[in-house]
Amino acid sequence: MLLVGPVQVARQILVPAAVALIGIGTQQPTWLLLLTPLIIIGACAIGFLPWFTTRYRITDTQLVVTRGLLNRTRLTAPLERIRSVDLEASLLHRVLGLQKVEVGTGVDDTRIELNSLSTESAEELRTFLLERGTDAAGPVQAEAAEPAAVPRADLARLDLRWARYAPLSLSRLAVVAGAIGALTQFTDDFPIVETGHALWDRVLSFSLALVVVVAVLGLALLWVLIAVAGYLIQWWDMRLFREAGNLRLTRGLFTTTSTTIEEARIRGSMLVEPLLLRAADGAELRTLVTGLEERVFPVLPACPRGFATGVGAELLGTSEPFEVTLLPHGAAARRRAHLRAQVPTLAAAAAGVVVTWAFGWSVWIAVVAVVLVAALGAVVGEETYRHLGHRLTSGYLVAGSGALTRVRTALERGGIIGWVVTQSFFQRRRGLATLVATTAAGSEHVTVLDVPVGTAVAVADAATPGMLTAFLRD
Amino acid sequence: MTTVPGHSEQITATLREPANQVSPNAVRMWRAIAWTQLAVTVLVLAVVWLLVGEATWWLVLVTLVVVAPGIMYAVWMPPLRNRIHRWEVTGDAVFTRSGWITTEVRIAPLSRVQTVDTRIGPVMRMFGIAAVTVTTASAAGPIVIDGLDEEVARRVVVHLTETTAATEGDAT
Repeated sequence: MLLVGPVQVARQILVPAAVALIGIGTQQPTWLLLLTPLIIIGACAIGFLPWFTTRYRITDTQLVVTRGLLNRTRLTAPLERIRSVDLEASLLHRVLGLQKVEVGTGVDDTRIELNSLSTESAEELRTFLLERGTDAAGPVQAEAAEPAAVPRADLARLDLRWARYAPLSLSRLAVVAGAIGALTQFTDDFPIVETGHALWDRVLSFSLALVVVVAVLGLALLWVLIAVAGYLIQWWDMRLFREAGNLRLTRGLFTTTSTTIEEARIRGSMLVEPLLLRAADGAELRTLVTGLEERVFPVLPACPRGFATGVGAELLGTSEPFEVTLLPHGAAARRRAHLRAQVPTLAAAAAGVVVTWAFGWSVWIAVVAVVLVAALGAVVGEETYRHLGHRLTSGYLVAGSGALTRVRTALERGGIIGWVVTQSFFQRRRGLATLVATTAAGSEHVTVLDVPVGTAVAVADAATPGMLTAFLRD
Repeated sequence: MTTVPGHSEQITATLREPANQVSPNAVRMWRAIAWTQLAVTVLVLAVVWLLVGEATWWLVLVTLVVVAPGIMYAVWMPPLRNRIHRWEVTGDAVFTRSGWITTEVRIAPLSRVQTVDTRIGPVMRMFGIAAVTVTTASAAGPIVIDGLDEEVARRVVVHLTETTAATEGDAT
């Protein structure tokens, strides 16, 4: 226990401290000897403080946490209000047999954190708090929550073969590209690169095509390795199971996390199929939850689509939202999708005019570029329209969206807490509207884009019977 | 209206207008703000004209691009907004329509309302205008009833707080 705090503080101050030390050390080497132990002692002292000053106890009705040395704060959470108890353990925590506990009351976003409890007491605390919570279930709407038929039955376990889907989700690619970009900033400082440059020139003169092919293959291979490694680190040993009216997800290779969601708080789901993943018949599943820090909560990593919809159906209590055919929004919506997808073409045309006129490039370069962008835009526009749609099932409002990534959002009708119908100038001319169902779950709104306005109102009225009745024209 | 789930596509419905218009003072306020903004812009432009000292082509262009929309805004926006902005608070819901180029209709049942705030800015005070904001548990769903007479706003707030206080649960 007494190690975790100082190490965390040390990690936070490592970079600024190192920079300061190197800066000072080059000027005054003797200072280095004095300052280094001072920084280490400082890190220890600051790191120890929370442990010495944090206390928690459980009264008959409340969880009370006091912390702070000079500013003493006292956090209390009524036991029956506790909605989530999450555990997290970094590699260091795990080596030392510790857990970080985060207690959420679900009403606001502040969570009570208890770092470095022993694994047993953390587990004990978790079970106790959650059982107390469910026993005295307050005024929570528990419409969709069915008591677990088979307790502790796994809804899903990580199948290692799913790792083949990892390289197809490109969301991690941006992070990797950023990291590589940052690395190249440093490589200029290395002397090896100088000699490398000479070698590079010789290789380039040898065969440019070969270099390009090797580079592309190398990058692709690197991406596959990074993606699979990231996937496994994040989702290793993933288990999704029911436990006394709660849904629990545990996962992680180095840092393990355990998240518990009250099933009554699940308001819907999102089935996300990025372009490449869709081509391989894979999908990711997220749930829309109220009163959790992460309101769009990923429950399944990239996995076979059929499996994702199966688990989704299990969570929502019906497979309907995943199976129904979405109703298309018609020709006007399609035209708008295409128009919007052609905006880059305008930019390309403008750029084409500039390079032709100002730099004297051949007109044909501009023409070919514009045609290519327009063709791509046509594909994107058509895809966007094909993904667009909505459907009302007996329990859910289902909305389809996305351009290259297909997203199917299902929102429980009981979770809708209001409606917004927006019409831009152009939408009004085409008789379309954007229908937004507001909710406390997920991203707090589900949008049905470019739907004929009459249909939008009818869908809203049918989805929440009575809410609109007084405001309808006969 | 009866609906078979999934077959709502054959049914269309239309919303009626919310019952109440905004206060005439609100229209005056919008107009005053728009013309003041325009006056300030013209003043700044006049200073630039004086500093430059001659009618260069770019100065004429900038003046046209800034002033023409400004005049159109000051002339068109207040009456248009007056026609579109409407509101209604019933026993169970808040219903508003706002905007002038892009219109927005919002409906929230009072059972889901979490907070009710009144806002009176300095300019609004000069015109005796108040805005009532009704928030629900969704960040996407705050409803602003803009351009109410202060007295009307007070009545609306009393009605809203009384009704929402009577509902139970955490409105999510």
